[in-house]
Amino acid sequence: MSLYDVIFYLFALVTLVSAFMVVTTKNIVHAAFYLLFTFFGVAGIYALLGADFIAVVQLMVYVGGILVLILFGVMLTNKITNVQIRSGSTNLVAAAVVIGIFAGALLTMMLNTRWLVNPGKTLITTIPQIGSLLVKQYVLIFELLGILLLIALVGAASIARKEEREK
Amino acid sequence: MNIANFSQMLSFIKPELAVSVTILVVVVFDLIFNKNKKIIPYIALLGIVVTGYYVIQQYALSGTAFPTSGKYGMVTVDAFASFFKMIVLIATLCIVIFSYYSDEIIKTQGRLGEYYTLIFGMVLGMFVMISASDLILIYLSMELMSLSSYVLAGFTKLRTRNSEAALKYLIYGAISSGLMLFGISLVYGMTGTTNLYQLNAALQGADVNLYTVGFALILIFAGIGYKISAAPFHFWTPDVYEGAPISITAYLSVASKAAGFALLMRFLKTTFVTYVDPHGSWQLFNIFDWQTLLILISVLTMTLGNFAALWQDNLKRMLAYSSIAHAGYMLLGVLVLTNKGVSAVMFYFFVYLIMNLGAFFVVMIIANKIGSENIDDYDGLGYSSPFLGVTFGIFLVSLTGLPPTAGFIGKLNLFVALLDKQMVVVAVIAVINSVVSLYYYIRVLKHMFLTKRDEKISIPVPMPAFLFILVMATTTIFFGIYFTPITSWAQNAAAILHF
Repeated sequence: MSLYDVIFYLFALVTLVSAFMVVTTKNIVHAAFYLLFTFFGVAGIYALLGADFIAVVQLMVYVGGILVLILFGVMLTNKITNVQIRSGSTNLVAAAVVIGIFAGALLTMMLNTRWLVNPGKTLITTIPQIGSLLVKQYVLIFELLGILLLIALVGAASIARKEEREK
Repeated sequence: MNIANFSQMLSFIKPELAVSVTILVVVVFDLIFNKNKKIIPYIALLGIVVTGYYVIQQYALSGTAFPTSGKYGMVTVDAFASFFKMIVLIATLCIVIFSYYSDEIIKTQGRLGEYYTLIFGMVLGMFVMISASDLILIYLSMELMSLSSYVLAGFTKLRTRNSEAALKYLIYGAISSGLMLFGISLVYGMTGTTNLYQLNAALQGADVNLYTVGFALILIFAGIGYKISAAPFHFWTPDVYEGAPISITAYLSVASKAAGFALLMRFLKTTFVTYVDPHGSWQLFNIFDWQTLLILISVLTMTLGNFAALWQDNLKRMLAYSSIAHAGYMLLGVLVLTNKGVSAVMFYFFVYLIMNLGAFFVVMIIANKIGSENIDDYDGLGYSSPFLGVTFGIFLVSLTGLPPTAGFIGKLNLFVALLDKQMVVVAVIAVINSVVSLYYYIRVLKHMFLTKRDEKISIPVPMPAFLFILVMATTTIFFGIYFTPITSWAQNAAAILHF
């Protein structure tokens, strides 16, 4: 097992264990903190794959932005509405069976498939390439993403706005 | 990618550009003239007309644009795409009329700008979905459409059912697009491409693991199946349809389903067909048994939809199950994997658009007055407002698929396509399903005409709404008798671009 493998399994372990804790812990604030490690582990795997830009974005957006928002959301909702936010689980047996089958299928698939393997390259920064791809070949996707964000903003504003009562 | 080439490629996405401009105009107008919401529906109408012009202009166009690598692009324009874009546009036009008369939407007048922005966001998503020939674009367009529809499903925040609908829709939608994305990543991991035309070659050439391909394709199908509300991905449908504002329910049941079917058919034909034989039958290469999967899904969907509809007392919920059942019928046209099947589905969509929107419109007009969609509140309505009763009857009979309505011709086309491929058993199951569906459609008529009630409720129908219902009802009958123009339109447009 090379050093590369060791690092990979380390990150994978961090991701999996904390993800498991996220869904099993009863306290939602704890769950949010475990989520931090999940995001961190995934960012590590990205970095290991040479996707430097995505790793940084993962850290900045998920760990830095979304997680903080989730925590704020949880704490503020608790304070304002006095609703105890608790998470629970039901139908454990059925879920375990389905997940077991799904995991088995995934595992056999991962082991038996001949994946397309690209030869390893020397590590260079991917940011210029991503930028160039986004405004050249994938310009349509880039523009559509812009509209998607606009729609998301409008939608969020619409949800957040208080309903005006009739006069 | 040079500039001359780029401007030529832009001409392939003119309708999409028109929709995007409409979104921006609505947003900007709403910002500047935020006191004057009355004009926004007219901007929407104008946007629809302009987009319609470009869609018709594109009808003769055929080709792909925006290549990422190789010569085939990620946007495909052909007559098939134009047909479905037209269906989506007509549905949008009807929804603008719906919203104009819907009490639920009138109550949220202050947010009319957001409402139309989101509607056109959906239109853009559906347009791209219909034309997409690249897995990334397919995913993105589905997200664009879903994101808009999640908000729209919970748009009127006055009832709790509404928020429940939006939340359920969001959670199911997130899971299904997650599954789909995972499937796409598996396909990419094996072939190294996301372009459907290149996938066709890549899946044929290399010795790919059949088990993995099957797994990935089922995951991708989960994403599409969710959009067309095929069983077993239908769980969101009844709750969302019941909770959403009725104009959005009607829109989801027709337009987003049309886009989903267009995507499914293009995906199947572009990715898995080696050649189309002279009889119009698709020859798929041997990698995944689509036909068996689709037969199972189709039979399951229609049976489940029809039998669950039998017990529904809420008309919106009943129409939701009925729309699941109709997705099952329309899958019949897909599973035969022939050009004839495709044109049968296209014809059916045209008919389904008219009769389903007509039925929803009547339900909405009645709900505006009596504030309920419960079947018991429809007692005796056939006598107090005979016009609504009779037209609703026409729509329901057409949804059942009885002559002389257009629904009959639509079902007939689907069954003929089935029998051409000697699938008698499936056809028999479908016919039995139609008979079952007769019960719950006619049950509404029984309540309207055979049950008397003491007090008389008169339901006001504004003149334009009256005309709208009249036009819908007459076309339902008219295309049941004189259906040749639509059939030939569908047949001409059925050829999906294929290399």
